[in-house]
Amino acid sequence: MSDGTSHSHSRKQYWIIFGLLFVLTVAEVALAQTAMAKSLLVGGLVALALAKATLVALFFMHLKTEMKALKLTVFLPFIFPALYAFFLIWEAGVRHA
Amino acid sequence: MSSAAAVAGEHAGHGGGHAHVLPPDELFGEATPGKLGMWIFLLSDAFSFGGLLLAYGILRGGAQIWHHVKDQAGWTMETEPTLGINFTAGLTFLLICSSVTMVMAVASSAEKNRKATIVWLALTALGGALFLGGQYKEYFGLFGSEGLVKEGLVFGHSAYASTFYVTTSFHGAHVLTGTIYILVTLFRTMMGKTDANEIEILGLFWHFVDLVWILVFTFIYLV
Repeated sequence: MSDGTSHSHSRKQYWIIFGLLFVLTVAEVALAQTAMAKSLLVGGLVALALAKATLVALFFMHLKTEMKALKLTVFLPFIFPALYAFFLIWEAGVRHA
Repeated sequence: MSSAAAVAGEHAGHGGGHAHVLPPDELFGEATPGKLGMWIFLLSDAFSFGGLLLAYGILRGGAQIWHHVKDQAGWTMETEPTLGINFTAGLTFLLICSSVTMVMAVASSAEKNRKATIVWLALTALGGALFLGGQYKEYFGLFGSEGLVKEGLVFGHSAYASTFYVTTSFHGAHVLTGTIYILVTLFRTMMGKTDANEIEILGLFWHFVDLVWILVFTFIYLV
């Protein structure tokens, strides 16, 4: 494209994503104030946060319409921090239990 | 040197705010060098935040007592305030709103609507400034509220306090940088010196700031 961008812009879609982000944020805050098992609570909150982050990356940052190589360049490196997070935090918890 | 790189080199140094549009690349399509550069920067920045959140998780996972609060017998020796979830949820909503105004600015600039681009950028900058005001209020108090520092959440006194301030202030520095970046781009747009590519690259940075806050809000305030 002559303007240097390669995305179509759907305002309707942007408002839908905005609505979803709002609903997910309200759900997060409500969930955080419930008295459920800690592991379930943390799992639910992390899932909601990752869903929100993914919506922002795919639709607002337009990763959804980028080429496969750029998508992989962005997403693949996060495998390692995710593994570090899981094993190191688990290890710290076990060591001090 | 590829033909794409040759074109980039040929155009390097030409001002006027016009994107160096390269021939479509087999792997990266029509992404400009500036946009790829911003993505690389954002990845490195994401790992900085990842390191902070990881340190927070390890310290918290290994702590016998993470948050010193009053117990049934009364106040503990070093009582620390509880973070205000509702107020920060409001700040989160504010950043989400500013992400919408930013994506509208990107759409307007792609449609070459300069007036709308200016309005949306100004609203986004306002969102950033309000967020910073909110963070100041949270730390130091404003309009009669005391703020976390006066309430006893002091940097260096506990891992809870230190990880909170390091992570949220690092993010605050990004909001400040982003707001300045938006204001500079806003003035350049008013002078007709920007194009859609430049606004899109700015948008990537601002959405990243929003995305990181979504994670910081969850891990630091909610979990």
